[in-house]
Amino acid sequence: MVKLSDIKVGQVFKIEFEGITRDLLKQYAKSSGDTNPIHTNDAVAEAAGLKGVIAHGLFSLGFITKLFEDLLEHEKYGNLIELDVEMRGMVRCGDLLITEATVEKIEGKRVHFDVKQTTITNSDIKDRNGNVIKQFEAGERGYISEKDIERGLVKTKEIPEGILTYRERIATPGQAIIEIFE
Amino acid sequence: MKKNAQFLIENLPGKDLPGNVKISVRYRNLVNFAKCFNITDPKYIGSEEEGIIACHAYANAYTIKGLYTLAPGAKLIQEGEERMLVKNPRMMLHAGNKYNWEGCVDVKPGDKLTVTAKWGNVWLVESNMMLFAEVITTVKNQNNETVCNVVVTAGIRKGGY
Repeated sequence: MVKLSDIKVGQVFKIEFEGITRDLLKQYAKSSGDTNPIHTNDAVAEAAGLKGVIAHGLFSLGFITKLFEDLLEHEKYGNLIELDVEMRGMVRCGDLLITEATVEKIEGKRVHFDVKQTTITNSDIKDRNGNVIKQFEAGERGYISEKDIERGLVKTKEIPEGILTYRERIATPGQAIIEIFE
Repeated sequence: MKKNAQFLIENLPGKDLPGNVKISVRYRNLVNFAKCFNITDPKYIGSEEEGIIACHAYANAYTIKGLYTLAPGAKLIQEGEERMLVKNPRMMLHAGNKYNWEGCVDVKPGDKLTVTAKWGNVWLVESNMMLFAEVITTVKNQNNETVCNVVVTAGIRKGGY
């Protein structure tokens, strides 16, 4: 149960989703009615200069509303009043999607959040000599650009298999307001 | 190009987008939609007999239908000639959404939703000549109750307006 007295400015609520696949985008396309083939057909997406299918702009937003539905235990303890988001970065199959909501201020029963969705896009794993031992879809299709490198979005980290190269960027910044019933 | 942008900036705000979009809400569709987001609560994916409501994310479905149906079909008269508002729909992209559910009712299977829209602010970003336009969308059910108010921000790339 979420109580207003339990919520503090600066507190972060977070969910992660790692299951973005072509099948899921097809399911979303069918149930949302957004059947633009750039989301479901690699050939069409490539012809549009996208190097492969991209998730629907609003697809990832569903995880923001889910975060608040989970927090409010499906509106048992409050309502989601408002959500304002900007679609900034493309989300791809294989991305890890991290959704975070940080309490910005509390006014009466209303809690205001800064919302941020970040994508982690794995490119490849190299051994200690720099040889690629595993390539992910982003590496194969070239989703990570020179611009991403210039912007400092491409990072590396040691993992048991070797050195992982990945991109970390904000896909969806925004704000949200919930109202707690108590 | 700038002339076209200026025309739209001066003439669009406050104008209705002609027509409306009707959406029939089906049980199976709501369940499949919710499952895209790993939602497991019976309130959103339970049995048809016990009754469910749409998860908040379902607002995406009616928003996108509203935007992509109403906006590309809109026409205007510029310097005595009729023109499509969006000259090339492939140049249009979805830049942002602001949903407001305050005082709204839930969406349920069997609902018949009607989406209407009018233009809000329109502005040009001169550095890349991207024109942005707000589409103020109202979604009501068959009882004329509002289910969501949405401000969609659409971007139209150079060559699309």
